[in-house]
Amino acid sequence: MSYSELTRRYFEAAPCAGVLEGTRCVRGAAGHPTQGTWVQFDVEFDRGGERIERARFRAFGCPHVIAIAAWVAEQASGRAPEARLPESAAALRERFDVPVEKLGRLLIVEDAWAAVARAAARWMEARAAQGRSPEERESAVREATGREATTPLAAPSRQGH
Amino acid sequence: MSDDPAAGRPIYLDYAATTPVDARVAARMNECLTEEGCFGNPGSTSHAYGEAAREHVARARREVALAVGAAPDEVVFTSGATEADNLALFGIAHYYRDSGRHIVTARTEHKAVLDACRELERRGFRITFLTPDRSGRIAPSQVASAVCADTVLVSLMHVNNEIGVITDIPAVAAACAAAAPQARLHVDAAQSVGKCAVDFHAWGIDLLSLSAHKVYGPKGVGALVVSRRREVQLTPLLYGGGQERRLRSGTLATHQIVGMGEAFAIARSGPAAELERVARLKAQLLQGLQAIGGVLVNGDPEHSVPHILSVSIEGVEGESLLAAIRPAIAVSTGSACTSSEAEPSYVLRALGRDERLAEASLRLSFGRFSQERDIERAIVVVRHAVEHLRRIAGP
Repeated sequence: MSYSELTRRYFEAAPCAGVLEGTRCVRGAAGHPTQGTWVQFDVEFDRGGERIERARFRAFGCPHVIAIAAWVAEQASGRAPEARLPESAAALRERFDVPVEKLGRLLIVEDAWAAVARAAARWMEARAAQGRSPEERESAVREATGREATTPLAAPSRQGH
Repeated sequence: MSDDPAAGRPIYLDYAATTPVDARVAARMNECLTEEGCFGNPGSTSHAYGEAAREHVARARREVALAVGAAPDEVVFTSGATEADNLALFGIAHYYRDSGRHIVTARTEHKAVLDACRELERRGFRITFLTPDRSGRIAPSQVASAVCADTVLVSLMHVNNEIGVITDIPAVAAACAAAAPQARLHVDAAQSVGKCAVDFHAWGIDLLSLSAHKVYGPKGVGALVVSRRREVQLTPLLYGGGQERRLRSGTLATHQIVGMGEAFAIARSGPAAELERVARLKAQLLQGLQAIGGVLVNGDPEHSVPHILSVSIEGVEGESLLAAIRPAIAVSTGSACTSSEAEPSYVLRALGRDERLAEASLRLSFGRFSQERDIERAIVVVRHAVEHLRRIAGP
């Protein structure tokens, strides 16, 4: 299999590979290594809690999956957390010259990003709840994150891995 | 082979797929091509050109026969081992179809045998596909249990092309002769010559497939050795001029046959020290790869040829592994004939490797031109690739 120059560059350098941990970090993942593709994104919010300060990824997959996950993580800085990727899966497929038979793997990258975006939304909701009464806050946090309000968001469960 | 950056080519570690033609072989072949050389048709009996070409072919036939313990008139030249395998399987199946319609082979055979068996299955033959043990070996007792009065052919490879494991052919032949004396034994020995002993008569083989390009000879030529002692009969695949005992019609490719003969002569007379050198390279490579951690050897190292090492690597994805090492070293992720299909190796799956591990496997094979520094470089390249991919994938 041959790869575009962009794919090879991001595959080899794998910028933004790694994990983030801390009270302003959330995590989302999709796929499973036993199925051949697994992607995880971590994002860290800025101090205002509105925008992504930085993102990191982990991936088990083909060079296209690694390259695109790296690119998506790189593009995330400064953006508001959205369920959509910075580009559509179709546009990413074209940008990285991904064979059509690999579209399913690309959708796993998209699912992983959607998962981290959902986690981000819950985090923002929980953060907003901090301005409420202790009871309201506890309830909102529990509803949003499935955790007790005192549980840090630093180490969320590793979905799908 | 050189890893000189000036050459700009990856280190070649795929000798089981094919080998470069030895310069001595190329020189001999060149003598048979041009006007001043021996370009005649070996089938031409009316002039000296044909006679000279016939002599060249006869010499090559002797060399091939000598290398495998056969008689020269038992050697039938073909276009390669795939044709030899097809001639053996279809030839026996059709000729003896009124005697029996059962064939025994193994799940880990080359596609040239497996696909031929599938086709024979469609044509009404019953095929028993033996499953090897986890080390990749077929026990003679498995063959003895599988054959019956209806069996016309047992087809097993001598050296597995993916994992290098050697089948105990003399023991298989003995088991076969005791349990089903009417059955013929075909052995694909494409990976054997020059790497381990092959003795056609002493081992009791009826049909033996050979390839030139695995032994520093040219592509496009091989042979099927057909036993005269047991009067093995075959229905030919090709009809025409009646060449090669009427078993393989078509003008003989003099230059390629001469190349094969020279390659086999070199392989036969090669120093034993060369095999020891290659075995040391394999040991060096194995030690270096195992130091990475999570590297599993495929097959039984105690019963394998010195030039093939197959490993599966935990925690990495197969395509990414290959992409990461490809700029620096040329290896195979499965058998060369199937790697374009991007499916996990059926050989490794038959050995019990799961799909992911089978995909994350490398076959590294080396030979006459491989050097210690090539192996050192390969170890570094694989280690860097594995560490890079494991870092990305996480624990």
